[in-house]
Amino acid sequence: MLLTADPAARPRLLGALTVLVVLWPLFQAAEVKPGALFDASNLKVIGNFLAAFLPPETGAGFLGHLAKATLETLAIASAGMLLAFLLAVPLGYLATAAGRERPTLNPVTRSLLTLLRGIPELVWALVFVRIFGLGPAAGVLALGLTYGGMLAKVYAEILESVDPAPANALRHSGAGRPLALLYGLVPLAAKELASYTVYRWECAIRASVVMGFVGAGGLGQLMDQAMKMLNGGEAASILLAFMALVFAADGLSQWLRRALDTPPADRPSPFGPRSALLALTLLAGTVASFRFLNIGFGELFTADAARSMGEFVAGFFPPDLSAEWLAKVGKGIWETLAISVVGTLLAAVAGLLLALPKPHAPFGFVLNALRSVPELVWATITALAVGLGPFAGALALALHTAGVLGRLYAEAFDNAPPAATRALRLAGAPAGVRFLYGTLPGATPQLIAYTLYRWEMNIRMAAILGFVGAGGLGQLLYFELSLFHYAQASTVIIAMLLLSIGVDQTSAWLRQRLR
Amino acid sequence: MNFSSMRRLALKAAAACAVASLFALPATASDAVLRVSAIPDEAPTELQRKFAPLGKYLEAQTGMKVVFTPVSDYAAVVESLATRKIDLAWLGGFTFVQAKIRTNGTAIPIAQREEDAKFTSKFITADPAIKSLADLKGKTFAFGAPSSTSGSLMPRFFLQQAGLNPEKDFKNVAFSGAHDATVAFVAAGKAEAGVLNASVWDKLVESKKVDTDKVRVFATTPPYFDYNWTVRGDLDPALVKKLTDAFLKLDPANPEHKEILALQRAAKFIPTKKENYDGIEKAAHAAGLLK
Repeated sequence: MLLTADPAARPRLLGALTVLVVLWPLFQAAEVKPGALFDASNLKVIGNFLAAFLPPETGAGFLGHLAKATLETLAIASAGMLLAFLLAVPLGYLATAAGRERPTLNPVTRSLLTLLRGIPELVWALVFVRIFGLGPAAGVLALGLTYGGMLAKVYAEILESVDPAPANALRHSGAGRPLALLYGLVPLAAKELASYTVYRWECAIRASVVMGFVGAGGLGQLMDQAMKMLNGGEAASILLAFMALVFAADGLSQWLRRALDTPPADRPSPFGPRSALLALTLLAGTVASFRFLNIGFGELFTADAARSMGEFVAGFFPPDLSAEWLAKVGKGIWETLAISVVGTLLAAVAGLLLALPKPHAPFGFVLNALRSVPELVWATITALAVGLGPFAGALALALHTAGVLGRLYAEAFDNAPPAATRALRLAGAPAGVRFLYGTLPGATPQLIAYTLYRWEMNIRMAAILGFVGAGGLGQLLYFELSLFHYAQASTVIIAMLLLSIGVDQTSAWLRQRLR
Repeated sequence: MNFSSMRRLALKAAAACAVASLFALPATASDAVLRVSAIPDEAPTELQRKFAPLGKYLEAQTGMKVVFTPVSDYAAVVESLATRKIDLAWLGGFTFVQAKIRTNGTAIPIAQREEDAKFTSKFITADPAIKSLADLKGKTFAFGAPSSTSGSLMPRFFLQQAGLNPEKDFKNVAFSGAHDATVAFVAAGKAEAGVLNASVWDKLVESKKVDTDKVRVFATTPPYFDYNWTVRGDLDPALVKKLTDAFLKLDPANPEHKEILALQRAAKFIPTKKENYDGIEKAAHAAGLLK
């Protein structure tokens, strides 16, 4: 009966079954046990911890630490961004196909960028903490490398996406490629380039908090301590400071991007006092960041440092490829994959539920709160709620991602083509039907794209969550690095890299197929 | 306002500043400074509090400025000692063995607390059903840091001797990172059982930071050698002698020294030697933590 009513029923049924068959073992591996969430003793534990959040710690000594750590986080993010930018400009120039006579894919530069981006910044930080000693230098360099890779890739793509005519004209009149790009393409792409850079700075602030968890200084280090000791009052204060910082950065970044949208003033000289002020602020900010962090770059580039770095890196080769270790890493990969898939799916469901109700306002607040707490912090809380293990990691991912996806979903619904819904309403269809057959089909491609993009980010995060006891590759890496088993750690890092590349490819393929 | 030109200028300026700041930073004069660190077996704030009077004492004894850097990673202390970024470090038995290996045997242990010659670890739980090590099967378990002697290596070694393999027999294994954090994990029910060093446990019990009606000790390990103060091997021998003497001179009868010793939880400091830690090295090989 059903089969005749819907001509697409058979492929849909088959698709649903395939998805179930693929997902079931992943849910098994993630040890999903919703029951644990409502276990009375677990509820009591988490209740006690959250109750300790009030009142937030306000002792003068602690607030002093907090203020310093907040500044440090800000400085690490800014200094890291500058480094990333200095790295991204030449790499982006090399990687982009824009302004070339013959299009090329630049396998060498592109794979370097993949390498830089594919290894999570936390792993870089962990490695740099070993080479350069403790403190912010490790965080700055880790951010610089990962974000340099990301910026370069996006810069390259932005340059490829703008109208190539002016650059071609310059090249044909004899200008070299650098000049053609600078005067032909950069002005067209400037707004997008600047906007993306500012957005990344905002992300860098979030990331520099996370890196504190491995000893790279800043708010993360304080947070790690407070969370480890389950000191609710301190955790609450740190979380508040962190949220304030993120909201401020968010606001500033939005203001800057709006400013980029306003047309330039009608004046002979485009460089007015406002832009001069901005340039000065940027300059002062950068100088202040480096001053504050007091990184001994001189010490980083001595022969001695080079030698110890060489020894350190050499220790990672050759990676341990023994069958026994590979089996262990394989299990870690599977667990990490499971955490990322289950976390993203749970987030998609929760995000959808939070995005649906109108008006958005009260739910908008919930979404903001969910996403402003970093996954590592959520993981500490979910580990209390369901015990240590992969399920805690999946839940932590789900909570943070639900906040992100919910907001994106809500926007997608608002932007869905209204014609179908209007037609259904005029035909007298009830709200549920209007949504299911009018809004949803129009928004679906976007929903799927956002979810898959998020999955690509979550696989990187899932690899890290093991640092706080959520299993998977992260725990293996933390353990082996602690014991100086660099050959084994090297295998884990390679596994992380392959996993993130694999997920990127799968996600790109799925996006293509589901379009 | 033309953002692209403004931005270019700003970035040029920023880049110039960055380059300038590379050179502008003062080279740190490390001659008269004794750089000290400690494995973070307790919260860093606690470590700093404990070290303050000892640091002053060492300043007076050596005539050098003493700088203590708190860290949050055990391995980083070992690596810093090996790369000569610190001169003196408070190490655990296992981290000392790691440091010895990474410095090709040059790191020198100079002193240890009397208590460290017969150190033990305590297995703790808040679950009434756990009465012996055998009851740990299928439970979640918290170690301290992976490279902790009393919070990871020796308990693992003794668990193995009792026929338990943590990776196979426990439901989940967590690394809390520090001894006091392990107690917090167990007290909160985040892990069903855990293990930590006897000295920190006693301190937490004395200062009533743990509810002993809830969390109790259900097993104790046999004694082994643990913590010591280690210097890097290429430090001036005269300075090494000064530092060793300074530790050994600490006298519980002297009220000023008593405060230092109390904070270090030491009755007094005694000389130590590399060979004391051979047993730890063997245990590390047996437990698979050293390869």
